[in-house]
Amino acid sequence: MLRALVAKEIGALFISPVAYAVITVFLLLSGYSFTVTLLVAKQASLVSVFFQAAVEFVLLVPLLTMRLFAEERRTGTLELLLTAPVREIEIVLAKFVAAMAVLLAMIGLTLSYALVIAVYGAPDWGPIYSGYLGLVLLAGSLASLGIAVSALTANQIVAAVVSLGIFGLLRSIDSLASLLPSPMDNWLLGLSLLARFTPFATGAMYTSDFGWFLALILLGLFLAVRALARR
Amino acid sequence: MSEHSAVAAAALDHLSKRYGATLAVDDVSLQVRRHEVLGLLGPNGSGKTTILRVLTGYLRPGSGSAQVGEFDLVREGRAARGRIGYVPEDAELYRHMRVNEFLVFMGRLRGLAGDQLNERLAFVRERLALDDVGATIIGRLSRGYRQRVAIAQAIIHEPELLVLDEPTNGLDPRQIIEMRGLLRGLAAHCSIIVTSHILSEIERVADRVAILLQGRLLAVVGMAEIVSAGSDLERTFLDLTADVRSI
Repeated sequence: MLRALVAKEIGALFISPVAYAVITVFLLLSGYSFTVTLLVAKQASLVSVFFQAAVEFVLLVPLLTMRLFAEERRTGTLELLLTAPVREIEIVLAKFVAAMAVLLAMIGLTLSYALVIAVYGAPDWGPIYSGYLGLVLLAGSLASLGIAVSALTANQIVAAVVSLGIFGLLRSIDSLASLLPSPMDNWLLGLSLLARFTPFATGAMYTSDFGWFLALILLGLFLAVRALARR
Repeated sequence: MSEHSAVAAAALDHLSKRYGATLAVDDVSLQVRRHEVLGLLGPNGSGKTTILRVLTGYLRPGSGSAQVGEFDLVREGRAARGRIGYVPEDAELYRHMRVNEFLVFMGRLRGLAGDQLNERLAFVRERLALDDVGATIIGRLSRGYRQRVAIAQAIIHEPELLVLDEPTNGLDPRQIIEMRGLLRGLAAHCSIIVTSHILSEIERVADRVAILLQGRLLAVVGMAEIVSAGSDLERTFLDLTADVRSI
């Protein structure tokens, strides 16, 4: 049953021009960042690509997730799904897996950059592995939160704008931390996507950061299920 | 739940449902008997669609209960929903899918697989005359064909209860006549609850009629009773609703 739902969601995502536009813009911008690092700074490193990709995810993931539930709610097809003998969690998971398929395809295509620096340089692979893991976790967190927002509304634009606002706040909340006294500054830093992502991008992995991203993913999925159950 | 609900295809027991300050359904108790066509009749806003949405598990009861066969729609929602086929009003389908692809998808959601799915797919395509459009994208189908696809997905798993919300909306006269024949044919295999605000449509397909006004159930009458009393549905409906309005 879950497989049928996932196949339907992936089909729906890839039939829409939005997925292709998002993938294209992502690759153009991350490719630009990679080229500049390679040719100007002459570094066999993907750190700048990872940070660039993190910013792009904040901007582009809402475009992918906005329609996942909002469109079904607006057109009425959600009624077909919710009156079938499937669980809400299965519907939510299928949409999450579909969104992740697009995001993993985007991340996977950037592996060509790693291939280039492996051929022409001697990269330190540790930060590259951890950077990719960080990107996957970041993508998962944003996708699940975006799906939760989409489950709350029938308007795609509202879903995109609200998701963008939440992602933007979570990304830049660390700048507010410097204004607060201890220990509140640390609490706020702990909420920052950028602060949590930076160690991954630079080759340091902490279980607390790993747990933070996993918690965000689970929170988003839980909220989406609750939003569907509230009817 | 009353003792009769054990044999009913579906039953509502003192169901109420509120949207904010508006009471959409007010203490409705109703049963759908096995292999009958029950018409839900009432003007716009009388609570017909809300009742159907509770009966299909899309909405939860505000108070009271709803069950399909022996399964409670809240406590055993998945089992209950597995016994229902539902065609929502203005049945919106996945327009980007091809007809066969959509029917296979809906069949899989209802737990069909392998040979059983293929057999049921062949059956509904033949029954609804969809063989020629199996490879057509749903968004390119006419309104009448889309309605047939909606019914095909609703019966693909041989439901015990078929729920149809305004199935003749937007259909041309020929399609309405076909729909009528189809409903009578399907009633041999399952129970049907159908809404309409068109009296003549209900009169022609229903065995019994439940008349609703402002969320309240005014009466449940058999079409045979109406005919034997020398009346018709229009007169019965006007008499019942006039009494309430005068109150």
